[in-house]
Amino acid sequence: MDGRRVVVTGLGAVTSLGNDLASTWGGLVSGRSGIGPITLFDASGFRTQLAAEVKELPAGLDPRLTRRLSRTDVIGLTAAAEALADAGLDLDREDPSRIGVVLGAGVSGLLDSENYFRDLLARGARRARPTKVLNHPPDQTTDRIAERWGFLGPRSTITTACSSSATSLGYAADLIRHGFCDVVVTGGADTFARLTHGGFNALRSVDPEPCRPFDRRRKGLTIGEAAGLLVFEDEAHARRRGARLRGRFLGYGVTSDAHHMTQPEPTGEAGARTIAACLRASGLNADDVDYVNAHGTATPQNDSAETAALKRALGNRAREIPLSSIKSMLGHCLCAAGAIEAVSTVRTIETGLIPPTIRLEEPDPECDLDCVPNVVREARVKIALSNSFAFGGNSTVVAFGAA
Amino acid sequence: MRAPVITGASAVTALGRTLEETRAALAAGRSAIAPVEEDGAPKAADRSDAARIGPFTTEPELAKGKARRLDRASQYAVVAVRQVLADAGYAIAAREERTGILLGTGSAGAGPLTEFERQMAVESPDAASPFLFPNTVSNAPASQAAIEVGIKGPNVTITQKDPAVLNALFYGRMLLADGRADALFVGAADEWNLVYHRAYESVRATRAAGRPGFVLGEGAAVVFVEDEAAARARGARIDARVAGLASRGAAVSPQARRADPMVLASAIRDALAEAHLAPAGIGLIHLSRNGSPFTDAAEDAALLDVFGTRLPRTMAVKDSLGENPAIGAIQLALAVAELRANPGIGAILLDAFGAGGNVLAAVLSAP
Repeated sequence: MDGRRVVVTGLGAVTSLGNDLASTWGGLVSGRSGIGPITLFDASGFRTQLAAEVKELPAGLDPRLTRRLSRTDVIGLTAAAEALADAGLDLDREDPSRIGVVLGAGVSGLLDSENYFRDLLARGARRARPTKVLNHPPDQTTDRIAERWGFLGPRSTITTACSSSATSLGYAADLIRHGFCDVVVTGGADTFARLTHGGFNALRSVDPEPCRPFDRRRKGLTIGEAAGLLVFEDEAHARRRGARLRGRFLGYGVTSDAHHMTQPEPTGEAGARTIAACLRASGLNADDVDYVNAHGTATPQNDSAETAALKRALGNRAREIPLSSIKSMLGHCLCAAGAIEAVSTVRTIETGLIPPTIRLEEPDPECDLDCVPNVVREARVKIALSNSFAFGGNSTVVAFGAA
Repeated sequence: MRAPVITGASAVTALGRTLEETRAALAAGRSAIAPVEEDGAPKAADRSDAARIGPFTTEPELAKGKARRLDRASQYAVVAVRQVLADAGYAIAAREERTGILLGTGSAGAGPLTEFERQMAVESPDAASPFLFPNTVSNAPASQAAIEVGIKGPNVTITQKDPAVLNALFYGRMLLADGRADALFVGAADEWNLVYHRAYESVRATRAAGRPGFVLGEGAAVVFVEDEAAARARGARIDARVAGLASRGAAVSPQARRADPMVLASAIRDALAEAHLAPAGIGLIHLSRNGSPFTDAAEDAALLDVFGTRLPRTMAVKDSLGENPAIGAIQLALAVAELRANPGIGAILLDAFGAGGNVLAAVLSAP
């Protein structure tokens, strides 16, 4: 196991800013918002009618397939296709039993299941149309990717709400480090549903306006949709085939707050433990970190607790490290948030561009770190962290480095 | 990789609220499978069975007042976690950060999810209860248990149909090897739900008279997995060793009604090789058999390929308890109990064959 190092050789994205990596990244560094009116269902009666929906479902897949798939599967498969093409893997020359798939997921086919359930309530079991209900399980996208490209290695689907896809990156890297796989397709996809919108609505955690991470006036999150897919590869394997290395996965920390199902631990003690676990596993210390891609949901509780956690874990260095929340542009993509933020973090390391936290006009004194307000920043970023904190106190922090 | 050890097991099932009760009921040949009597099957001929727990009390492990805030799968999980903590004789105080939890699930959150959806649809979005939403997430059982007993190490939930618990064990072994924890609760929790039952029934996926298919079950089971040195240092009783594990995939649609026996055969061979065992070293097999003709036939073919005509004794608990990830965990807990009671059996094979080409195999051996 020692000596097997994990590199990133492919990236793919579908988001509210565009249906590929280039348009998503271009939007992020331009400070563009993907947030707009909800179109997927009638959102009257909710605190907000805004979300960061994927605007047009990507059309690259076979339409006969698309008709049978959930929205989540469609964007997941599209981003996986982009990531695999980006990695330049010649699958005819790879051993499929050495290629795994590990994704984070949650909503999956829920929107279709909700339509069935509403039909069931209105018309009874004899007349309700169970269209696509078999797409309900969250591990569907993982299986679809393995099926589509014929991958025969280990697979897994992590379902820990908003940290799901960050944790999936850790599991994927472990499969490579321990020698079970040479390549793992990892990340995650998640789409919009009444449940998630209504759930945060009921908790009064959605902002009626587009979300404002770290701003004094923030009132909560805006939900987004995304697929972020990464190809992780054993470094020696990647070098043998002459692959371009986009970055390195240095390590991760995964811990439990053991505090509350929905509230973050307010002093930052729990979040700091996760950051410290990530640094330890990655062989890093606070001085090594050049950038933090924040969880930054824009709920009043998260942003102050996250600030406190960074100060506890990184000490004085926390004040010098830029951090930004791309949720200000992409919304909170829930079970795909860690994945799309990892994709963005790798691009930051590659390009030296830090996407901003937009709508940050009145900084909250409790969020007094350098939150890169409103305008993209150029910086030398060799090593970056990305934070993900979830319902249940499931916290994961990942570290990426330059190739 | 170092083989971790198992030092405790528990189960909350439709045949008993403890592992011992469940073992006794299975030994007596009892089954929890019964027709779902509630009105509303799509057609009379589609009316299918389930294996349900029925009325359930969380006491003595968890006070009723606390239990009210938890969904059913979380209640089962917290009770199973409390039971395994006692069974393993593990004092978690001062070890919180070195203790983790990995649970599998297929349907955790179904109860609060469907009730929340009903409230939004029938009443209004603003009428939907904020207390329901937190428990709709799949990680509620593991995280509610983490909050209840103070688990601060890795906390991960995996969804992967029936193999989810063996996958949790597969991941947990790497976490222990990397020193991320000394001890892990590994198991699964699931809840039976009428709306889910109706949905699967409508697409004729569940078993009904004259029609094969699966029987949805529920419950939770947890085993306590430790790094061997840590277990020995605290003087723990060692019930079993996780001697071999293999995880593989087949490239088939999640909805395809076919399965490749050779993928399972190679997973079993990998697990045996890791355990340094010949097929003859296996004393018992916990089968994945679930009544679906295509996976059952593939499992038979895989076992024939590995064991030839010298098949060890087999056990098929899904015939009594239904299926979903929780039942896979119950099989794991039963295997630990068997090795504790009867170490002379040597080693037990568990294989798990999930739809969509999810295949795992595990070999547990006597310590």
